[in-house]
Amino acid sequence: MKRRDLFRMGGLAALGAAGVSACGSGGGSGAAGSTQLQFMYWGSTFEKAAVEKMLKSFEQKNQDIKVKPVFTPDEYDVKLNSLVAGGNTPDLGYVPMSMSFRLAEQGNLVNLFPYLQKYPQLAGYLPDAYLWYGQDKLHGVATANEIELLWYSKSAIAAAGAATPPAVASSAWSWDQLVENAYKLTVDQNGKHPDESGFDPKQVRQFGISISLTYAAAWYGFLRSNGADFADEAGKKCLLDTPEAIQVFQNLQDLIHKHRVAPGPGQLAATGDDVPGTNILLKTKRVAMVVDGHWSLLDMNESKVDYGIGVLPKYAEPFTTSQVAGASSVFSTTKHVEEAVELFAFHIDPRYVDLYQQGLWMPQEKKYYEDQAAVDSWTKNDGHPPEFRTAVVDYARDHGVPDLRNRVKNLSAISSDVLTPALQELESGKRPAAEVLKEVSPKITGMLQGWQHVQEP
Amino acid sequence: MPGTQDRSPTGRSPSDPRQPDPRPPDRRLSGQRRMERRWGLLMALPAILGFVIFTAGPMVASLVFSLTDWQVGGSPSFIGLGNYTELVDDELFWTSLSATTYYTLGAVPLVLIVSFAVAMLLNQKVRGLPIWRTIFYLPTLVPAIANVVLWIWIFNPDFGLLNSLLRQAGLPAGQWIYDEAMAIPSLIVMSTWGFGNTMVIFLAGLQGVPRHLYEAVSIDGGGPWRRFWHVTLPMMTPTIFYNLVVGVVGTFQVFNQAYVMTEGGPNNATLFYVYYLFRMAFKESEMGYASALAWVLFMIIVVITFLLFRNARRWVYYEMAGAR
Repeated sequence: MKRRDLFRMGGLAALGAAGVSACGSGGGSGAAGSTQLQFMYWGSTFEKAAVEKMLKSFEQKNQDIKVKPVFTPDEYDVKLNSLVAGGNTPDLGYVPMSMSFRLAEQGNLVNLFPYLQKYPQLAGYLPDAYLWYGQDKLHGVATANEIELLWYSKSAIAAAGAATPPAVASSAWSWDQLVENAYKLTVDQNGKHPDESGFDPKQVRQFGISISLTYAAAWYGFLRSNGADFADEAGKKCLLDTPEAIQVFQNLQDLIHKHRVAPGPGQLAATGDDVPGTNILLKTKRVAMVVDGHWSLLDMNESKVDYGIGVLPKYAEPFTTSQVAGASSVFSTTKHVEEAVELFAFHIDPRYVDLYQQGLWMPQEKKYYEDQAAVDSWTKNDGHPPEFRTAVVDYARDHGVPDLRNRVKNLSAISSDVLTPALQELESGKRPAAEVLKEVSPKITGMLQGWQHVQEP
Repeated sequence: MPGTQDRSPTGRSPSDPRQPDPRPPDRRLSGQRRMERRWGLLMALPAILGFVIFTAGPMVASLVFSLTDWQVGGSPSFIGLGNYTELVDDELFWTSLSATTYYTLGAVPLVLIVSFAVAMLLNQKVRGLPIWRTIFYLPTLVPAIANVVLWIWIFNPDFGLLNSLLRQAGLPAGQWIYDEAMAIPSLIVMSTWGFGNTMVIFLAGLQGVPRHLYEAVSIDGGGPWRRFWHVTLPMMTPTIFYNLVVGVVGTFQVFNQAYVMTEGGPNNATLFYVYYLFRMAFKESEMGYASALAWVLFMIIVVITFLLFRNARRWVYYEMAGAR
C-alpha cells in the first residue's frame, strides 16, 4: 500500500502534473450536506454548452447533488493519464476507447453490470453499445451511436450534373458509381476534370470525394462490405493482406493517385493533420462529397451548409461503421457510486438531454430506431433533413458494424506503432496497397490479442 | 587506523580555559559568515527546492520507474533491466533514434553556419545596425507553437508560401513535411528560423576578439580571408564549441515539430525520440518503458557531450591557457 502510494506520488511529480493539483477527487462535500460529483468530458464549444445544460438539469432533479463539469477539449488522454497516475480521477465522464478497456481491466472503472437492472433503459441498448471487459463485466457504453455517412454539397452536385448519392442502403452506389460521379465533381482551377487533357492535379479547385485512409472508422465499413475484416474470428490473425482487403485499400489509394478525384496528404490540411471540418469543406466547395461521422450534422446546421446525407457506397452487402464514439464510464475512485451511476444513466438519456435533437448524438436505446414515436422524438425537427430516416436511422440499425476501437484488443498500440504508419504510406501513393499490406499484416498479427468480450446484457 | 584513537586531538581543546583562542577575530567573521550562509541558503531555497522537487525528485523517480513494468492505473512490478533489454528489439526505438540523429546532424551544423555568418554580417559597421539585429533576432521571440503553425502554412503543398514561390519561379513544387523523404530535410531548413540566440552569442564572441590581432594581420599584409582564417575563427572556437554543445543537447530533444506538425509521420519519418517517449508515456500509458527511454536519452546525451569535450581539446583555442 505504502509503496504504491509512493509510486503514485513519484509519478505525479514525474509527470509534472500541475493541472492535477487543484481538483480534489470529487469526493469532498460541497455545500452543506450535498454530494459533489465531477464529470469530465471533451467536445466542441457547442457540446460544452449542451453538456453543461444537461448537468444543470440533473442538479435540478437531484437537489442534493452538485456536479462540477471538467471540460477538457484537448489532449484528453494525456490529462486523464495524469489524473489516473495521481489517483485523482473524476467521478465519471468520457474515456477514450483507447484507454477504457485497460483502465477497466486495472480496476479503475466501476463494473456497471449490476446496475442494468436498476436502470432498465440501460438494458435496452443496441448490443454493440456495451463495452465488456469480461463475463458480466461492463465498464461503460459508447457515449453515443455514431455512424459514418456520405455527406455532400447539394449545389456542387447540381452544378456538375452528377447523380445525387442514394439515401437508402439497398440502392447504395457501387464503388464504380462513386468514382464516376467523383470525376464529374472534381475540377481544377481551369475548370478541367481529371479525365480531360490538361487537368492540373496540383491546382484542384474542388475535389470530388474525401475519404480518410488513416481513420479506421472511415474505411472499416468498406472492408466489411467487401467480405473482408481486420482480423480473423479469433482476433489473432490480421486479415488486411487478403485480396478483398487489398482491393478496398487499393481503391482508396486510387481515388487520390490514379483517378485524382480525392485530396492527398496535406492537401486539405490547415494545420498539420487538422483538416477543416466537413461543414467547412462542403460549404466552401473544397470537396463535393465527404465520408464523415453523423456528429457533423450539428456543425452542418450551425453553419447553414446546403448539405445532403447519403449512405456509403457498397461492395456486396452495404455496411457502415457504427459506435464511433468514446466510452462513458464511472471511475472507481468515486466515493459516491450510486449518485455517479445515477448521473451516468441520466447523461445519455434522450428524455433529458437535447444533444440528440440538436444532431450531435444518436441514441443507444433500441427503441429510438424501432418505435415510430420514439424515432420521431429525436428526428422530427429542423435539424434533421427528410432523408435522415433512411440514410441514418435505418442504415445504422440494419447495416452498422461496430468500430474497431471498441472491438480489437491492443488496437491503440497497433495503430500508433504499425497501422497508421502503413496507412500513411498508402496515402502517399509510393507503393501499391498489396505491397504495403502484405508487409504490415504479419506485424499486426504479432500484436493482436483477440477481440473484446461480447455478451447479451 | 588503530593508532589514531590514542593520540590526543592536537591539543586544541576548547574546554581548556588557559589556552587562548587562537583566532578570536575569525570567530566574529565566522559569525557573520554563518549569518551570510544562513541568509544565502534561505534566498537560494526556492531554487534549490525547485530543483529537488521538480527535477532531481522526478529524475530519481523515473530511474526507479524505468526498472518496473508500470502502466498508468496499474501497480508497478519490478522487472530489473527488462525495459532496457526490450528497447534493443523495439523497431520504433531505432527508428526514432535515427530520425533524431538525422535531424541533429542536419540542424546543428546548419544553424551554426547560418548564425555565424549572420553574426559576422551584423558585426560590420552598416547603417541601421540595431534594426538589422532586431530583425534577425525577432523570430526567436515568436512562441514555439506559433512558429510551428506558421511553418505548417509555409510547407502546405497546395497553397503554402514555399510552393507558391517555387511555382512562380517555374520550379517543381514539393510535398515537404507530407513526404516521407522530404520531411526531415524540411524540418532542418525550418530549424534555421530560430537561430537568434545562437547568433547573439556569436556576436558577443566576435566583439571580444582583440583588435590588435587584426591589426597585426593587416600590417603583415593579410586580407579579409586571412583575418578570418587566422584570427576570427581560432578566437571564436570557444564560442563555436559552446554553441555546438548547447545545440546538440537541445536538438536531440526536438519535440514540437513532431507533436504539432507531423505527429511523427508520414510513416514514422519524423518520429523524434522525445515524441516517441511522450507517446509511450501519455498515449500508451507505458510509464515504466517511457522512463527507460528517458534514461537512455540522458545517457546518449551525456556520452555525446563527453565526446565533444574530449574532442574539443584538439580544436578549441583558449587565449589564456588554464582559463577554461
